[in-house]
Amino acid sequence: MNATFAIAGATFGEAVRKRVLMVILLAALVIILISPAFEPFAGRGQRTLVMSFGFGIIQLAGTFIAIILCTGLIPNEIERRTIYTILSKPVQRWQFVLGKLTGAISTLAFIYAMMGLVFLLVTRLSLGSFDFQVLKGIVMFFLQSSLLASVTLFFSTFVSSLVNYFLSAGVFLMGNLMSTFLETIQRNPEVTPLTRVPVQILTLILPNFANFNIQNPIINPEQVLTDELAYFIQTVAYAIVYMALLLVASILIFNQREM
Amino acid sequence: MNALYRGQYALMGGYTTVSEVVIKTVQLTKRYSSWWGSQTVEAVKNLDLEVYRGEIFGFLGPNGAGKTTTIKVLLGILYPTAGEAYVLGKPAGDPETHHRLSYLPENPYFYEYMTGKEILTFYARLFGIPEPERSRRVDYLLDRVGLSRAANQPLRNYSKGMLQRIGLAQCLLNDPELLILDEPTAGLDPIAHIDIRDLILELREQGKTLFISSHQLSDVEIVCDRVAILNRGELVQMGKLEELLSGGYVEMIAEKVSEQVLEPIRQLGGRPNLHDGRLIVEQPDDGSIDRVIDLVRANGGHIISVKPYRRTLEDLFVETIQGGRRR
Repeated sequence: MNATFAIAGATFGEAVRKRVLMVILLAALVIILISPAFEPFAGRGQRTLVMSFGFGIIQLAGTFIAIILCTGLIPNEIERRTIYTILSKPVQRWQFVLGKLTGAISTLAFIYAMMGLVFLLVTRLSLGSFDFQVLKGIVMFFLQSSLLASVTLFFSTFVSSLVNYFLSAGVFLMGNLMSTFLETIQRNPEVTPLTRVPVQILTLILPNFANFNIQNPIINPEQVLTDELAYFIQTVAYAIVYMALLLVASILIFNQREM
Repeated sequence: MNALYRGQYALMGGYTTVSEVVIKTVQLTKRYSSWWGSQTVEAVKNLDLEVYRGEIFGFLGPNGAGKTTTIKVLLGILYPTAGEAYVLGKPAGDPETHHRLSYLPENPYFYEYMTGKEILTFYARLFGIPEPERSRRVDYLLDRVGLSRAANQPLRNYSKGMLQRIGLAQCLLNDPELLILDEPTAGLDPIAHIDIRDLILELREQGKTLFISSHQLSDVEIVCDRVAILNRGELVQMGKLEELLSGGYVEMIAEKVSEQVLEPIRQLGGRPNLHDGRLIVEQPDDGSIDRVIDLVRANGGHIISVKPYRRTLEDLFVETIQGGRRR
């Protein structure tokens, strides 16, 4: 595991030095910090505004960072030829892929921790007390981004960075909408099986990113989750299982890859 | 596989030793196909190669000859289309053997944000070298390649020569039995060039096996025991350097020579050229020059100079690749 952790460490070290990622993070932190100032224009309560703004920015920044960080994880190593000195060491290909993913998720953890801390601080400054409810949302968004990172890493084992941007963004978008779309279709009796079945299959295959969107019950306390504990257990388990499957698929493809 | 380790007697570097085959390829073939398989490029064709323990083996060929492809197959980065490749007695790419070998790619690239010390520590961790041995070895190698003073500078500030030295240092972290070096002296200034060449010779003294792919034929001629020349993916020449480079000539210049000596010299295999009593002879390097000298002297001639011309690796390379055509 030493090799895996070494690769993860190098991936983290490189990621936190990427200017584009740090600019996105910095911009997100600044927007979260100044969000209470928008109250006069929002026409909503201070709490609703701060929460909506904070969650919106955190999810957006996390999504961008996950895609930008992971599209190049493997193609960049091949283009720069850094991979040759790594794979000529006693490092197995699965260790390389696992190391890259671990490094990417560690980077996301660091970024979410930064955004989460600033978000908490803003709740303290604008609402008078720390609102630890936001941490639930942060954890769910972190899981969502980690799952997106796994999807992007999976694509990066066989497509170029440019194609990967569009593929990953497309999967994220569809993964957020498919369950809602399916519900709508299922409620409509006029939809034929020819339309319904492909949608069902796609919903089954694509990761359900909408699962992680927990911000509404946090922003609006009148919306209550029926069984919060079960929701968290199921969602975390879903993320871990899906990520594990994607990791296995990534390793299988990368094992066959020639560089 | 045991056959690979069966003792074979081979002359290497002027002495006889029981040698072990460290690298072996049998009818190795590598084809690249386009996505739809419509176009196929055969980068390596039926390559049979044997590299023995303790030798420095030069792997030569023009650009696109298939050298780097072969190296990548040996490292398990590419998979052979047909044939077999063994390294240190195991199928190429076996991670176990990677504890015992090292690789320096052409124009090595590293994580530029890391310092010299950090990158060596990173590679030492990949080798699974524990502390405090790891730190000790990293410091020793930084010193050995002359980078102690730049140890804490990020690699983005390193010159090409410094990066090449770091590349060699990372190759030595695991004290390997086999080093595979792809263009180790390419693009270096003369001082760095000589330093790295000396380091390679030092490694031979330590009994390491070196497999060197290079275009620097003068270096290969100095350091290598055996060479193989690849052209368009095919092995076109392989053997001990002294055997491949045999067949030079000796040039003799003499004065006050008469025409009578010309025919006897021709009979001895020489190519005489006489003008105004000045004779220039190109004589095969087979000992017959002594008889030519005697002949000229007996004829009243005066020897001005006798100079041997050795066939160079460059001559051999050009002859092999271009069929002897030179500009």
